[in-house]
Amino acid sequence: MPTGFGREFVTQYQKCEWENAEYRARQYQDALYDKVNDRIARITFNRPEKRNAFSDRMFEDMFAGLHQANDDPDVRVVIMRGAGICFGAGHELSSPEGEDSPPIHPSKNPTMVDYYGFERRRCTKWETITDFPKVTIAQVHGYCVGASQIVASCCDLIIAAEDAQLGIRGFGNLHHSVTHWPVWPLWSNKAYAGHAISETSGKEAAELGFINKAVPQDKLEEETLNWAEVLSQLPSEIVAITKEWINGSLDITGIGSAQRSHFVSHLTLQYVRFRPYEVNLYKAKRDKGLKGFMKERAISATPGTGLEK
Amino acid sequence: MSYKNIIYEKKDGIGYITLNRPEKLNAINDAVLDELDAAFAAAEPDLEVKVVVVKGAGQAFSVGQDLSGVETSEVLLDPREPISTKRQLEAERRRNRRWEYIFNLAKPTIAQVHGYCLGYGCHLAMVCDMTIACEDALFGDPSIRMGLLSGMPLWIWLIGIKKTKELLYSGRYITAAEAEQFGLINKAVPKDKLEEEVFRLAKGISLLPGDGLANCKDGINSVMEARGLGEAWRFTNELQLVMQQHSREPGEFDFFEVRDKKGLKAAIKDRDAPFKGFP
Repeated sequence: MPTGFGREFVTQYQKCEWENAEYRARQYQDALYDKVNDRIARITFNRPEKRNAFSDRMFEDMFAGLHQANDDPDVRVVIMRGAGICFGAGHELSSPEGEDSPPIHPSKNPTMVDYYGFERRRCTKWETITDFPKVTIAQVHGYCVGASQIVASCCDLIIAAEDAQLGIRGFGNLHHSVTHWPVWPLWSNKAYAGHAISETSGKEAAELGFINKAVPQDKLEEETLNWAEVLSQLPSEIVAITKEWINGSLDITGIGSAQRSHFVSHLTLQYVRFRPYEVNLYKAKRDKGLKGFMKERAISATPGTGLEK
Repeated sequence: MSYKNIIYEKKDGIGYITLNRPEKLNAINDAVLDELDAAFAAAEPDLEVKVVVVKGAGQAFSVGQDLSGVETSEVLLDPREPISTKRQLEAERRRNRRWEYIFNLAKPTIAQVHGYCLGYGCHLAMVCDMTIACEDALFGDPSIRMGLLSGMPLWIWLIGIKKTKELLYSGRYITAAEAEQFGLINKAVPKDKLEEEVFRLAKGISLLPGDGLANCKDGINSVMEARGLGEAWRFTNELQLVMQQHSREPGEFDFFEVRDKKGLKAAIKDRDAPFKGFP
């Protein structure tokens, strides 16, 4: 594809955000779609062996599910949850070849324009969840880190197990940008400070106000269904307008710019030069594999724990 | 102005505005709004008043809009009534300008809350600079259960996104302790300490220079305006208008129909029935 930059590259810029998200006659695979009852639909992230890390297919299945719930006039509430031991571990860090998952595979060799298009397409997905016109509830247990936390944040409500782990491994939450929006507009220093912590439990997150409620894990499903049941009593149009009002007010405060800053910070992170003593994802992955990288990252994130031996 | 539905008095540099329809739990009808306007307009230029305390007589601060349909053409537009878009927009603007006026009053304001503090009552407490409540107070906005928009943009500014959505989607009420935790109010105190606590706060403020207070308040509010609050009031007007036009689904609860057929109490009971036992 001619790019205007005088060289060829595998362009992803024109790919549509909704590509492969048709729900009619769909075989759901990496995310499943079911209905709890007439009014409550449920999307279950379904790569338990990969801790529900996001593949392209999982995004596509999730969006097909949202589409289907949107088109179903009976559905008023959508629950999102994860199969297996957790809600989700975020992006697939193994960079499968040919997939969008960041950090993307070196074979894609994207230019900055290309990468920006990719980022924009990826981040627009968050806004699609945010602006979904029906009530969305994230039912969170176990890990809910990185992109999975963003997905949960974009849902209207989060109910989590007390021992759930929300955050980003090895970083403060602060570069996340788009997940700032649960604390937007920043209404307390407590919440702001909470976002500088790299990981919080469900219990702590409820106290900081990032999520709505934390319950023991064996009560999580029951509690979520209870909320869904109650919220599904409200007529769809009334919910849609109320949600438009709240989200529109947030747009006025600059949420749109926060979303955009997330594209840019991702783009910038792609060009980070690691210092010799820092854990370099690309180098560690190449030399020691993904698990080796994760071990190195854990050691660097928790100095003095003895892990370094 | 002679006040019938509120009491306005001045004492020790403190102005007191007391909602005074105790037999109706201080439900706010058109007349209450008119008198509130007059009282705030009287307090603002009055050099003897340094700080204004807003409270309710009887068992509650206020249960919110008077839903009876009697003398409520300003506080509660009946969606069944044919009304031009222009007139409705005017009504919405008047309403939000009133809240904005109180919010920006050039003197500190304190809401002293006990019992129910719902709907318009809660909005009135929210536009005050500070809220002190006793432990038995209940806060919330059940508008959505009647197919109405809450219409108070400050929710998002005060308690954040997740809690706003939780409260406004469900219409559920929260206790003073929860309200304090979310930042909706400044402090929850035992019932017998409420008056004393508010007096101490008001007295302390009344010792400060009035010009300095007005300036300080303007600085804080202008930060909220810079974060888009000014535009949010306007946006709210428009969405109120949209909400009035929503179409009813078959079997959908119609508060106004039920009220006219079975009476106000039965309508409120029917309204809240599906939400019983909600956390």
